[in-house]
Amino acid sequence: MTRPLSVADQGDGPYVWRFTTVDRTLHALVMISFFGLVLTGIPLHFSYAPWARGLVRALGGFQAAGLIHRLCAIITFGYFVVHIASVLHSWIRRPDKLGIVWGPDSMVPQPKDVRDVIQMFQWFLGRGPRPRFDRFSYMEKFDYLAVFWGVAIIGGSGLLLWFPEFFARFLPGWAFNVATIVHGDEALLALGFIFTIHFFNVHLRPEKFPIDLVIFTGRSTTAYLKEEHPLQYERLLREGRLEQMTAPAPSRTFYLWSLVLGFASLALGITIIVLVLWATFR
Amino acid sequence: MPRTSRSLGWVMLALVLGGGGGTVAWAQGGTGVECQLCHGDRDFMRAASGQDTTPRLYVTDSLVRDTRHGRLACGSCHPQQAVGYPHGAGAKAVPCQTCHAQAGLDWAGSIHARNVADRGDAPTCVSCHGSHTVYGADDRRSPTYALNVASLCGGCHADPRIVGTYFMAPEEAQAREAVGQYYQTVHGAALTRAGLVVSATCNDCHGAHRVLPGEEARSSVNRQNIAATCGVCHAGVLEVYQGSAHGAALRERRMGAGGAPAPVCTDCHTSHGIVRASDPRWFAGVVEECGACHQRLYQTYFDTYHGKATKLGFGLTAKCSDCHTAHDVRPASDPQSSVYPLNLVATCARCHPDANANFVQYYAHGDVRDRARYPVLFWVWALMTTLLASVFLFFGLHTVLWVGRLAVNRVRSRPPAEPVHREGA
Repeated sequence: MTRPLSVADQGDGPYVWRFTTVDRTLHALVMISFFGLVLTGIPLHFSYAPWARGLVRALGGFQAAGLIHRLCAIITFGYFVVHIASVLHSWIRRPDKLGIVWGPDSMVPQPKDVRDVIQMFQWFLGRGPRPRFDRFSYMEKFDYLAVFWGVAIIGGSGLLLWFPEFFARFLPGWAFNVATIVHGDEALLALGFIFTIHFFNVHLRPEKFPIDLVIFTGRSTTAYLKEEHPLQYERLLREGRLEQMTAPAPSRTFYLWSLVLGFASLALGITIIVLVLWATFR
Repeated sequence: MPRTSRSLGWVMLALVLGGGGGTVAWAQGGTGVECQLCHGDRDFMRAASGQDTTPRLYVTDSLVRDTRHGRLACGSCHPQQAVGYPHGAGAKAVPCQTCHAQAGLDWAGSIHARNVADRGDAPTCVSCHGSHTVYGADDRRSPTYALNVASLCGGCHADPRIVGTYFMAPEEAQAREAVGQYYQTVHGAALTRAGLVVSATCNDCHGAHRVLPGEEARSSVNRQNIAATCGVCHAGVLEVYQGSAHGAALRERRMGAGGAPAPVCTDCHTSHGIVRASDPRWFAGVVEECGACHQRLYQTYFDTYHGKATKLGFGLTAKCSDCHTAHDVRPASDPQSSVYPLNLVATCARCHPDANANFVQYYAHGDVRDRARYPVLFWVWALMTTLLASVFLFFGLHTVLWVGRLAVNRVRSRPPAEPVHREGA
């Protein structure tokens, strides 16, 4: 068998679980709604760009674009609520109530993350070994928390702009000017970050190139776990929990569809970056 | 009132009788010469003139009878020919202005008269009105009837030979296309498609007799006179425009930013490209037109949702005239202005029905670069820019250094290359 393109599927097995079905479904919804929001948002933000009118026409016209934008906003609010509920659910069910806000399984930034950032830069400069990550690296935590921050800021300002007459009952009109600036710039930050930094960290850096499908299939080889999350691997081994994390290999069809979706998203994201750069530096 | 109706009856009877006798009157002219004997005989006139086609001087009784001149005698216009036969060689008809004094004076002051004198190929009375078939402008058969005027003027002004001779200068490009474009305008379509004779045609704007180029102060299409010319039909708009800041600036000949004069009707509506105000493509052009003088407002408009949606070609979001009105543009300090603070709720409510006093505190032309006027916008913008710059700077560096480290590691871990044999070493 030839070597799989996805790094999560390379190397020695067996497969181990990394993401639950709920997490993967929510990530897929994040992707779909985010692409919808970005594609319908950038023509308005960069209305002067040579491609703006053509993109709006391709999306079915100005009003259709507005409708898609609002539908995707609803999906965004939806996955946000479902995620909060799922976190609460697992918090209620787990025996150690603190584990979700502190420790290696928590998404909350901790002193180790600060040390990892410093150590990473030391490694970059050739002054120390590469930091070893547990279940979530500081980059993954940043990605995750950025969505929280982004949904709150972009979603909130978006609601203001969606229902200005309602919000004008208790907000001054210039709040809509502020909302316009914040909404656009924060969205630019989000798309710029995801389509360059996130893409690089997750798929395009030489260790991962060309793609990592773990977020779609939900599982990786043990070799991948050792490479990317060595502390988690050692911890699971020590605690004797590695066995119960074992997963069957993804089916061929599932893997191929994940590959198609992954590459299509990479291509679309990079295209969007090209459009944004074209509009900014023409 | 029986007395009145009886006298009206007599007048009508006299008219009928008089009309019936007109045939005789025009032919005999009271001079004893029977013009019809020769000029009413086609074969004779053909032989006499040596022309195969119907000769110009073949003028039948019936041709002239129901024209405006039907009750004139030949001799009224051709006195020298009327005294007898043979006619004096080179004898001319009497000038039209003998009777039509004002029209003659107007024409004499026109560019057409000047071109007749200079080059001899511009229209005179008969070019438009005909010689023996002079109908009134309200007569369907007349070339000067509203539905016929554009093709009458187009006979010359759409003729490449004539247009090429008179309108060669680059700034006259519009004059070269004017007639063809006119048919595409609301005015042209109203005439040709809706058949409305009240719609404006060439002479309504340019005048029938005193046609003058727009550069000339007396021209009906001169900047200073345009509003009055359009106002003949669009009287309500003229009244509003004259009360507006633009109307006042035009009267006082004040110049705007960049030395441009106050806008007149044609600046926004064009002259030969006039379309309906509901056409979104045209409206995008009007925004550009306003922006030619109001540059700061133009720039900041495109920073707002209103402007961005307009830029994408969407016709429904607010454009200049939706807030400032189209013709009654006044400064915000004028209590009659649509953007006077006390009128803002009503103005915004035209699109946003629930607009209130809070709502109208929106900066329709907010400028993040203008720290003095919009400090909140400036600081929010500065904060956001700092946030974006720091995130991209940090992670940009993170990425570049990462690639660099991996590249260095790869070079170092490469197995030693075979010794390089330099030539001559």
